[in-house]
Amino acid sequence: MRTAAYRANIRKLAVLFLIVLAAAVAYMVVDVNFCNEKLFHYSMKIRTPKLIVMLITAFAIGGASIVFQSIINNTIVTPCLLGMNSLYTLVHTAVVFVAGSGSLLAVNANLSFAVDLVVMGAAAMVIYGYLFRKTKHNVLYVLLIGTVLTSFFSSIQTSLTRVMDPNEYDALLTTLVASFSNVNSEIILFCFIVLGGVIFALRKELSLLNVLTLGKDQAINLGVDYDRCVRRLLLGVTLCIAAATAMVGPISFLGLIIANLSRQLLKTYRHEQLILGSALFGMIVLVGGQLIVEHVFTYSVPVSVFITVGGGFYFLYLLLTNRRA
Amino acid sequence: MRIKDLTKRYDGKIVVDSVSFQIPKGKVISLIGPNGAGKSTVMGMISRLIARDSGMVDFEGQDIGRWKSKELSKRLAILTQSNNIQMKLTVRELVAFGRFPYSGGRITAEDQAIIDQAIEYMELQDFQDRFIDELSGGQRQRAYIAMVIAQDTEYVLLDEPTNNLDIYHATNMMKIVRRLCDELGKTVILVLHDINYAAFYSDYICAFVDGKIAKFGTVKEVMTKETLSEIYKVDFEMMEIGGKPLSVYY
Amino acid sequence: MNASRMMTAVLLICLAVLSVLSLFVGVIDINPVSLLTGDLEQLEIFLISRLPRLLAILCTGVGMSVAGLIMQQLCMNKFVSPTTGATISSAQLGILLALLFWPGSTLWGRALFAFAAAILGTWIFVWFIQRIQFKDVIMVPLVGIMFGNVIGGITNYLAYKYEMTQALSSWLVGHFSLVLRGRYEIVYLVVPLVILAFLFANHFNIVGMGRDFSKNLGVPYNLVLFAGLTIAAMITASVIVVVGSISYIGLIVPNLVAMFKGDKIRGTLVDTALFGAIFVLVCDMLGRTVIAPYELPIELIVGIVGSILFIGLLFYRLKNGRKAVRLGGLGTSGCSVTASQAASSLEGGDLS
Repeated sequence: MRTAAYRANIRKLAVLFLIVLAAAVAYMVVDVNFCNEKLFHYSMKIRTPKLIVMLITAFAIGGASIVFQSIINNTIVTPCLLGMNSLYTLVHTAVVFVAGSGSLLAVNANLSFAVDLVVMGAAAMVIYGYLFRKTKHNVLYVLLIGTVLTSFFSSIQTSLTRVMDPNEYDALLTTLVASFSNVNSEIILFCFIVLGGVIFALRKELSLLNVLTLGKDQAINLGVDYDRCVRRLLLGVTLCIAAATAMVGPISFLGLIIANLSRQLLKTYRHEQLILGSALFGMIVLVGGQLIVEHVFTYSVPVSVFITVGGGFYFLYLLLTNRRA
Repeated sequence: MRIKDLTKRYDGKIVVDSVSFQIPKGKVISLIGPNGAGKSTVMGMISRLIARDSGMVDFEGQDIGRWKSKELSKRLAILTQSNNIQMKLTVRELVAFGRFPYSGGRITAEDQAIIDQAIEYMELQDFQDRFIDELSGGQRQRAYIAMVIAQDTEYVLLDEPTNNLDIYHATNMMKIVRRLCDELGKTVILVLHDINYAAFYSDYICAFVDGKIAKFGTVKEVMTKETLSEIYKVDFEMMEIGGKPLSVYY
Repeated sequence: MNASRMMTAVLLICLAVLSVLSLFVGVIDINPVSLLTGDLEQLEIFLISRLPRLLAILCTGVGMSVAGLIMQQLCMNKFVSPTTGATISSAQLGILLALLFWPGSTLWGRALFAFAAAILGTWIFVWFIQRIQFKDVIMVPLVGIMFGNVIGGITNYLAYKYEMTQALSSWLVGHFSLVLRGRYEIVYLVVPLVILAFLFANHFNIVGMGRDFSKNLGVPYNLVLFAGLTIAAMITASVIVVVGSISYIGLIVPNLVAMFKGDKIRGTLVDTALFGAIFVLVCDMLGRTVIAPYELPIELIVGIVGSILFIGLLFYRLKNGRKAVRLGGLGTSGCSVTASQAASSLEGGDLS
């Protein structure tokens, strides 16, 4: 059914895409010295990976948030509450704690990232897989437990750092301040593979998303293996968030903002459009935000702080406007 | 469809206690009974929405649990009361979901024709591009029934379809149920609270008390003063209107 | 009734024993004999550090758990607490504002800011959740946590902007190691506030049943609601100013006690207070002994122990629904109609 609304949405998505393009170009060229070839190359070398990281992050978080919201039929929650951020910090700290900051695991950025992601992915699969089963897919419970786990993980992490050798702690601290800057091309490739793998493994479930939004009973009525489908999707969401977090660190409200912006703009149940819209919005917010942070605020405040505050107010607005949470 | 020794416990408490009955094909069968008698649970179990603890549901020669979910959804449709979608979905798009078991997400020309028919059948032409969440309760219920019609199944299970509807819409809903059976030849099984609707519009009634079947039979067999008083523990008087037994309770 | 009294008595004895024990745990060995024989140096340590610490611990435990109980009762949701109700993060913001705008402020000055912010934050949060109909009780704490994140975000932003992150950090992770004579007395405010809460316990109970319910019984809904929230917020803020943020106590302790005793606030208030004090005492002793001679801040221990307990509690509720672990002989149906009504309406969303 190619209705008028469908075509209108395609146009809206095209406009979003153009804005992303403009933001990306602006990000690449603002304040670049084109006359000096060396400086130009240097800027490109610095900015290209950062831009790509932001785009991937936006896609991972945007897609994961839409999927997550649709599964639990609730648009004011975000998978970022699951506690991945602190799990990442804990895993990272634990690796340094066990292996020592001088070890290859901690010194080599790629290896360290790979280890973090693998350990975190495995831990996330085990913990959240268990929680989803144990709560019989009552995702709100999982979410609440996730917020509790956040403080659990970070308490253990802080305790570890207190017991740690102060020198080791200093070395650790520099790697824990995550941002778009300290990511290299191998890590990007690695993330690409992870995300691609997740999407490929879940291609069938993703096509069922539209049906899932009708609710559990209707989905089963229409012949969907609901529990299995939801479990697999949730694990996919977990992995996407894990990859994004491992790459850039915690950005708690991003998923909430962009998923809801996409829903508000597109007003549709079609997930292919919603996910695309959410990802594009994510790119606009991240690239635009980074642009402002770098050139207006000259790095004085990290972009994640802006997203949290701005996203927070947007969240409160959402709560008040659609009162049937 | 044959149901045998169906049992369900919640927290050790038996809510459905080895229920057995056979559903006659091409008829309207109403499940009635007081609150907590287990009728909705039975409905849930025969439609695979609720897992059963023991017993079997034989559907066309095979246990319902052994059917492929997709195949089953071409033969049996269930509509529960929990239909609150938050998505922006038009009536037509909702009805189109009825074709999902047949063609996945891709709607064929043949599907379009069936969707058109279903919409027409439920007289929803004027509403088909409206969003579901903008409709009144009665219209929304009709949209869901249209989806079930588009699903084109032999069996249709409805859990309290008249719930929250006023007299006008509830009566229309019951007439639609009758037509589903008479005109489209479907077997309709519904959970009802209003025994007079059950008496007037169905062929068979299955009355539940405390998780057991108190009485199963034709409308005339079940709708007697004695049976009803026993089931509902209040006094009944019987009347007859248009050849159908109706009850007055007080 | 007897079993209930007995529980209170057992808790009281436990608390007394643990308190005495706690006085003699620490880097410098203090033994009771030399105290009594008048060893001045030991007496000084005892009076400057150990005793204030014990009192601060007791106030913290009692205060935070009672604050949690009041908030849960007023919002009729077992998952609301200073942590999940934006009270703690608001108080932190208040302290930061005090540091920013009044650099020379005393402890009392900061406390004033923290009070104002905590009260305002809690009011706004409750005003918010009353405006929205939640299908599921779990949504309320989730919204509260996100609400807290927003306020935390603002705090972070200001701290970044004015380079106060370092100064603020001592209020982010609660610890008792700086509790010394002359620096902690604000925490005593908890005592009159808890007494006040006890006096109005029945009112809170009624207000928890809803606006119409309390109107019907002639209880001024808004007044009692906001008075109750103010008490809870002030308790929380006075603890945070002295000790720093301590999460979970307000969430877990009332739930654990309610599991054994039912939901009526008056009957459980004393037990909740006692149990809260015991909980914090035990956590503190753990923190002081695990990596002695150093100590882990109380917030970390509570964070670890508390979250495990809370997850256990969630699983228990998920499995058993509403059933409380009844004590034998408690069957005076002490939780009259109101309490069971409260319980059933509380659990409305749990089944889904």
